[in-house]
Amino acid sequence: MTTTPVEASDNKPSAPAVPLSPTTGEPMTVIARRGRVGLWLIIVMSVSGTIALIISYSYLWSLNVNGGWAPPGAKLTANQTNDTIGKVKGSFAPEWPFWAILGMLILATVFMWWGYRSVKRGNQGALIAGSTLALIMTLATLVAQWIQVTNFPFGPANGAYASAVLLLCASNIFNLLLLLFILTGIMNRARKGLISRAVSYQAQAASYWMVWVVIAFLLGCLVTTFMVESPNVDPAIFGGFKEQ
Amino acid sequence: MSSVAPAHVHSAEVPQPAQHGKPGGIMRRLNFGTGLIGGIGLAIIAGVVTSQFVPSGYASPVTFAPMEGEYVYLAVLLGWVIGFMAGMGAFVGPIRWMLGRESTHLDAEYMAGKDLGRSRYWKYTTDHKVVGIQYLIVTFIVFGFGGLLAMLIRTELGATWTEVFSPAFYNSIIGTHGIAMIIAMIIAVSGPLGNFIVPMMIGARDMAYPRLNALSIWLLVAAVPCLISSLFLGGIQDGWSAYQPLASQAPIGMLGYQMTIIVFAISTGIASVNLMTTILTMRAKGMSWSRTPIFVYGIFAASLMGLYAFPFYQYSQILSLSDRVFNTSFFNPLEGGSVWLYENLFWLLGHPEVYVIIIPTAAVLMEILPVFMRKPLFSFNFAVAGIVGVVALSGLVWAHHMYMTGWAPAVNYPFMLSTEMISIPVGFLVLVVIGTLWRGTSWSRLPLMAVYAVVFNKMIGGVTGIYLSDVPADQYFHGSMFVVAHFHYMLMGAGFFGAMGGIAFYFPKMTGKILDERYGSIGLWTVFVGFQLTFGSMFVAGLQGQPRRVLQFDEQFDISNWISTIGAYTIGVGTLIFLGAIIFSWRDGPMVSGNPWASKSLEWQTPTPVPLENFAVLPVVTERPYNYGVPDPYDEELRAHDGDELESAGAR
Amino acid sequence: MTMTQASQEQPESPTNRPPSMHRFKNWMRRPYARHVMIWTVVIGFLLLPLCWLLLAAMNQTGAPASEIMQDIETTVFVFTLVSIPITAFVFAVLLYSLIGWKRISSDEPPMQENPAIFTNRIGVVLWTVVTSALAMFLVVWGMIELAQITANSYGTISANEQPGGNQSVIVNVTGQQWVWTFAYPQTDGLVSDILYLPVDKPVYFNVTSKDVIHNFWAVELGVKIDANPGAVTTAGVTPNKLGTFNIRCAELCGMHHAYMETEVRVVTQEQFDSWVREMGGRRTS
Repeated sequence: MTTTPVEASDNKPSAPAVPLSPTTGEPMTVIARRGRVGLWLIIVMSVSGTIALIISYSYLWSLNVNGGWAPPGAKLTANQTNDTIGKVKGSFAPEWPFWAILGMLILATVFMWWGYRSVKRGNQGALIAGSTLALIMTLATLVAQWIQVTNFPFGPANGAYASAVLLLCASNIFNLLLLLFILTGIMNRARKGLISRAVSYQAQAASYWMVWVVIAFLLGCLVTTFMVESPNVDPAIFGGFKEQ
Repeated sequence: MSSVAPAHVHSAEVPQPAQHGKPGGIMRRLNFGTGLIGGIGLAIIAGVVTSQFVPSGYASPVTFAPMEGEYVYLAVLLGWVIGFMAGMGAFVGPIRWMLGRESTHLDAEYMAGKDLGRSRYWKYTTDHKVVGIQYLIVTFIVFGFGGLLAMLIRTELGATWTEVFSPAFYNSIIGTHGIAMIIAMIIAVSGPLGNFIVPMMIGARDMAYPRLNALSIWLLVAAVPCLISSLFLGGIQDGWSAYQPLASQAPIGMLGYQMTIIVFAISTGIASVNLMTTILTMRAKGMSWSRTPIFVYGIFAASLMGLYAFPFYQYSQILSLSDRVFNTSFFNPLEGGSVWLYENLFWLLGHPEVYVIIIPTAAVLMEILPVFMRKPLFSFNFAVAGIVGVVALSGLVWAHHMYMTGWAPAVNYPFMLSTEMISIPVGFLVLVVIGTLWRGTSWSRLPLMAVYAVVFNKMIGGVTGIYLSDVPADQYFHGSMFVVAHFHYMLMGAGFFGAMGGIAFYFPKMTGKILDERYGSIGLWTVFVGFQLTFGSMFVAGLQGQPRRVLQFDEQFDISNWISTIGAYTIGVGTLIFLGAIIFSWRDGPMVSGNPWASKSLEWQTPTPVPLENFAVLPVVTERPYNYGVPDPYDEELRAHDGDELESAGAR
Repeated sequence: MTMTQASQEQPESPTNRPPSMHRFKNWMRRPYARHVMIWTVVIGFLLLPLCWLLLAAMNQTGAPASEIMQDIETTVFVFTLVSIPITAFVFAVLLYSLIGWKRISSDEPPMQENPAIFTNRIGVVLWTVVTSALAMFLVVWGMIELAQITANSYGTISANEQPGGNQSVIVNVTGQQWVWTFAYPQTDGLVSDILYLPVDKPVYFNVTSKDVIHNFWAVELGVKIDANPGAVTTAGVTPNKLGTFNIRCAELCGMHHAYMETEVRVVTQEQFDSWVREMGGRRTS
């Protein structure tokens, strides 16, 4: 653990080697390092939450309790319920929209990274452009995600697969909304020069965070593509016993 | 003593951004009152709007109960939380950030409560010392609420000849008591002491993210009415573990529980991030890891476990809520849900959480001991090893709560192994404590007395845990009062008494007064005696075979329950005495100096009341902590082995 | 130094005497060491009756009615016995700290001189070794016992594949709010709310629930397994005593969880067969 050396007692900082924070007077490199540590810790929190969702999806997929994993074949609206236990091959969500949405988010992340790398080289305008493009792309991703959710061939009451997928999508939407907030902030601050070549840690944090969000989306894509039909084709009957 | 090096606060000389209006801006007008207005207002609006939109008569296909109350209550809860936080000014900072406005030094000072006097405790204040006191008050409130419910529970169980409460109400008070006490115990040491003391202990001016200080406490405050409101709406009739699918059958009070946990998890997660970043990055110059006090290790460990584990609990409640409100089937077996999924998600937090409670209290004991024994902490490295061992294993033992569920009988073996193994690092901490007691003439004051109580209870709790960790023995004990007695010995016997000791120890630093020795001791030992009666007798009831969470039982359990109830009332009296001692000392006690215990630790080197910036000049650390005592008169031999450690520590 | 003087006055020790024994004896010369050891032994003996007292409490409603329950009681006895030494030692140190090494109750911090013991390698190693050995013993004991119990019941093998499968009784246990129902699939649709079992015959339970989680606990038989909705869990036991015993629900299942109790009656084979006939069932397998 080191801090940058404390400056001598009564010099006015004529041309500080590193800009200082207006609120605490500490060098911005110190503030930046703190921010990075905090970012990693928040990512740990988010990882736990995402793992909880993936565990839910996978565990329910593997158990297929009472045959209720798959949604029924017919298209039901969200507040109707399913009376037929899903012995019928259900209608799972099509897989390509998940990957398309992931692609859009990757594009947004690329924009943000480009902006961040550019500002480290001194190109402030590229940061503004990059963050703005990332913001627009994130908005588009959000719209696409919303369209996907409203067009699912099932509702929340249609079995365990439906529940798990809808919750994954809800988590995605939450992450996208949070990203909208973050990217708006980066864009505004870049325009005002508060993020610049000298003080760029917030753009760095946003870029790293977006990479994590991409990974979270990717995990969702993987389970919804490769873990669709339950392997348990002979589950226990609810409330009864099988013939011995 | 650590020496100090010259360092100046630069802030006034740093170029400042434009000052918009008075320092603090809109934060000048926002406080607890506006928070209440915002919360209640938005809750009412949300409730009214939702009730317009929900088709009346809409019934749940699962429980056939009308759903309108469900949606309205959920809207009210969400409205309350968001409105309250908005009224407190929690969104002001993020929105300013998003719009690209910077805070000035004067803004930051205002937010830290400079020159605001008492009113800073009612505002969104960032100063870690203010937040520490706020956590202390909230702990008292939540603990008092849980304690009141405990008295009701024991009244019911003691009145074996009648039913004092209806079964539904009884079920709801045991659940609410459980979660209230769990919340109170989680924040009891990490909250007040973690916030107030840790930054001073490491020689920092504040936490890493001062605004997150305020956010975590006020989120907690927002969660408390959610919990209390649930009691009035049918309560948490499912035990604090809220197993599904029973939770979906329960009345709408369950939504209060779920909302409490969802908000509490955010509050705890944020506090964990804050504490961990502070400890990792803001230790004073010269404070290497071998010079960091053990309390800091304890708080760090608890924060780490809370960080990775709390999201599982939070998601288990989000999924439960979704099952109730949106009819999803995560836990509804009829439609593909699995009860085992809930249990796994829940216990993935449920177990690390008990270490989140225990490790800080053990760590605070290890802070107290050197001061009152006037000798160093025995084997600092061993204590660190114990804490690290507990953290490492804490995530690997959760399914010992699920031995009897039948979810995967083959994994009972590895979990039995990991559970037994975790008793080893815990044992390291016990050795450190008794090693510090060894051959020391003690200065017997209230904080030290708490240590004896804790070690006694921890041994009993630990040994009874051994029975529970054994799968065949658990076949008798699971779900019986034996389990209840065991965890009360650990969480209350070690946790609560440790918290009492920690608060008594740091009371002079936090309030400037010393906790009255006489009444504090009477309170402590009254609680101790009552505690042994209550839970010792509860072990007997469990051995006899009384299941838990029952309000009526066979006659053979009567005597055990009568004794437990008498003990419980004794605990109640003792806690009130202790609380009385705290209030009386705080208000009317004599002021004491900055370091009444003559401690060598950094936090005691500040004057009392502690100035806003903690240290006029940031300290530089040059010695190991706990440098008390004199060379051992017995011992040439020992010094020949450990002399290198002694020399590097600078002992004579 | 006192120690070197003492050793000079002693007769010369034989050269093959282990040095650790020598050091231990020297350590035991210190008054506090002797006292703490004595107190440990005394407290240990005071705690010893717990081994039997715990079993007495467990047997209050009835003595063990199966080998599983007997195993459980043996485990409780042994674990208590094995935990006593360390517990007694810790308690002895606590007590001696208050009485032997004494206390000062002053308002000002006392400036007494306590020895600066930063660590003690022997103490740490000894403690680690002893606690680890104890923990390993407990684990190994537990695993062997668990394997034995599982071998006597389902484990992961269904009843039909167990050796002697058709010499056993199969009971389908259904828990629902707030009653237990027992079905005997080997008979012709016999359903009962009191569990009858023949003595000395293995019984296999298939357990499930129709609504929420319950827990099937046959107390004196030592059987406990959750009744989960949507899954069938299994347990097994061989009752070896005649009598009437308790079945309780051990998982909170709603309002009348406390009343979800019934009985298990272990009877002779003839009584069991006649009961089956009376209830209208007929053995089909």
